[in-house]
Amino acid sequence: MAGAARPPVRRPAKPFYFNTSEHLLRIESQRATNLSELLEALRACPEDSVFQHTFRTLQEHHFIRQGFSNDFAHWSLSACNEPALAEQLASVDVREFTAVEGLRRRMVAIIDEFLENHPRSGSRPAYEPFYFCATDLVVLPTPFAPDTLGGFLDGLNQVSVHSIHHHFIEARLRLHRMSNDFSNWLEQQVALTEAADAIERIDIYTNTTEGVQLQIARIVAQAMNQESDR
Amino acid sequence: MKPEDYAATSATGEAERQSLNLAESRGRPPLIERRSADRRAGRQLPASILTPPTPPPAPHLDDYRNIVGQSTLDALRFLAHELRGKTIKMVNSTAVGGGVAEMLNRLVPLLSELEVAAHWDVITGGNDFFEVTKAFHNALHGAPYELTKAAQEIFLMYNEQNRERMKFEEGLVVIHDPQPVGLIRSRQHTSASWVWRCHLDLSNPDARVWEFFRPMIEHYDAAIFSSQSFARQLPIPQYLFYPCIDPLSEKNKDLPDFQVQRVCDDFGIDRSRPIVTQVSRFDRLKDPVGVVQAYKLAKKYVDCQLVLAGGGASDDPEGTMVLEEVKDAAGNDPDILILDLPPWCALEINAIQRASTIIVQKSLKEGFGLTVTEALWKGKPTIAGAVGGIPNQIIHKLTGVLVHSVEGCAFQIRYLLTHPEFARTIGINGREHVTENFLMTANVKRWLLLFRVLEERKARRAKAA
Repeated sequence: MAGAARPPVRRPAKPFYFNTSEHLLRIESQRATNLSELLEALRACPEDSVFQHTFRTLQEHHFIRQGFSNDFAHWSLSACNEPALAEQLASVDVREFTAVEGLRRRMVAIIDEFLENHPRSGSRPAYEPFYFCATDLVVLPTPFAPDTLGGFLDGLNQVSVHSIHHHFIEARLRLHRMSNDFSNWLEQQVALTEAADAIERIDIYTNTTEGVQLQIARIVAQAMNQESDR
Repeated sequence: MKPEDYAATSATGEAERQSLNLAESRGRPPLIERRSADRRAGRQLPASILTPPTPPPAPHLDDYRNIVGQSTLDALRFLAHELRGKTIKMVNSTAVGGGVAEMLNRLVPLLSELEVAAHWDVITGGNDFFEVTKAFHNALHGAPYELTKAAQEIFLMYNEQNRERMKFEEGLVVIHDPQPVGLIRSRQHTSASWVWRCHLDLSNPDARVWEFFRPMIEHYDAAIFSSQSFARQLPIPQYLFYPCIDPLSEKNKDLPDFQVQRVCDDFGIDRSRPIVTQVSRFDRLKDPVGVVQAYKLAKKYVDCQLVLAGGGASDDPEGTMVLEEVKDAAGNDPDILILDLPPWCALEINAIQRASTIIVQKSLKEGFGLTVTEALWKGKPTIAGAVGGIPNQIIHKLTGVLVHSVEGCAFQIRYLLTHPEFARTIGINGREHVTENFLMTANVKRWLLLFRVLEERKARRAKAA
């Protein structure tokens, strides 16, 4: 059996520090009134703006199960009436990127290619402008810093969805690898590799962040039960 | 005329329109003017709404726990802990009335409870000052205006008088709106960060008036706007602070069903049938006539009642005219209820919103649109014009529905009334959106975050120097 081959769960050497991030929205100078302007502004805007309109917007709309992925996709549909472009932009999973620059290049490439194939769409006025914003990020601790798996599960059940976003989605930009803080800790500190992998595979685009939180907690609870049965 | 005569007048069918004008009836028992066939005719309303109720005590931070969760309060306390002992001064132009004063009345005690002491000062001025600032206010909103040297001198003179009177010893000075903007001249004598909080829509200002203000505004450390679309190009950082509602206020607090029922009974609203409501002043920019037209188009397909609840008709000549236009548009339809309420009827508005099946805010021009926030907070499927700050609140088909015409509004009324699952989903999403972004606690958090960001910037500058 696969479970028999697993190394036993270790007592973590380091606690898991649950943090959360708060954001202050800045209004930037770039704005776009059509898709060509969006492309130019997207090339020139600060990284903070790309972060705001992709990673952050997902956090802002954490309660929506489907239909909202990033601001560029939403604007392409609602203000420019370009559903094909909107679908392409919406299909970009922010978790495939470990740096904002890579995400920016992907978004730019999609719009660039679309405008090459649909040149008249570039100058057609949007129903409303796209205003670029950015974010000042402040990381805050929470009261939860468990040094046991049980304490970790308690923390997971009690922190806010913003803490989940911070550790599960934004973490890639900090870690610069395709992982998240939860999986990292479970793998490195407790040797729960399967649970770590299962958490990494959770789809954030067909779930609310609260749903993601519940799934993570369920995976950890199952792993704990399996360990206690061994 | 005696009170009973009013009822008699209504009952004999002399009232041509269904209108309840509480504001006009202040000081005498009110009634609803109805045609004799109307089930609501002659109904007496409780005397309690004739005079303003005593305001309830301001809530404490812990009172919000069940609404926003412990984690939000933890974040606020942690942010505040880092700023403990620092102080904020808020300056505006009025202590009572208006959205800014209402917001400061709640914000200042909460900041102080978090041990970030907030002081609130109000500038003074003569009638000439407030006439000038009202004209400036309208001009900054885009109304045409002939800026004179005299007007500029009056503005600057009163700002100078207030500047000499006031002390600026706090770490953060926040100037609200254009009236006190000239106080920035005191900045050179303080180590504070100075922030201009603009509650106006500056997307299309009178150019000369804006040029008068711009050099003063550029001396601030930062500016804050209520929507991205309200901002100007400025060389200072600009932040986005959404306006907010207080979920514990009379207008927004949770109400037991018996209280909602009592208000509906008082006003003659039938809760067994769908209720479509717009709450707003009788103002053309709120398009109440368009709402009546949309309701009439929708009613060809679905049964519903329309409630237009607002005020402003008794103390505003234009409001009176608009109210008449609305009555004309309503005609003899017994399912249209028009309520001209005094401003203190927050609890009644709350109950009407909670009783509603759908809430409409079909504005043609709007600031942020706090009535939309109130509707979303109550989990109501909301249809609103895609203007001003409304698109910040309503993400089309996700947290509500945006419309651009009477016909669009009519279709969405029909759609939401016949697709209750979809209506329920956008209602739930809308409430979440408000919880996250548009509640008083989110406002407190933004101020604490801004203070922290400005302090860090100040420290970096000092280190570099």
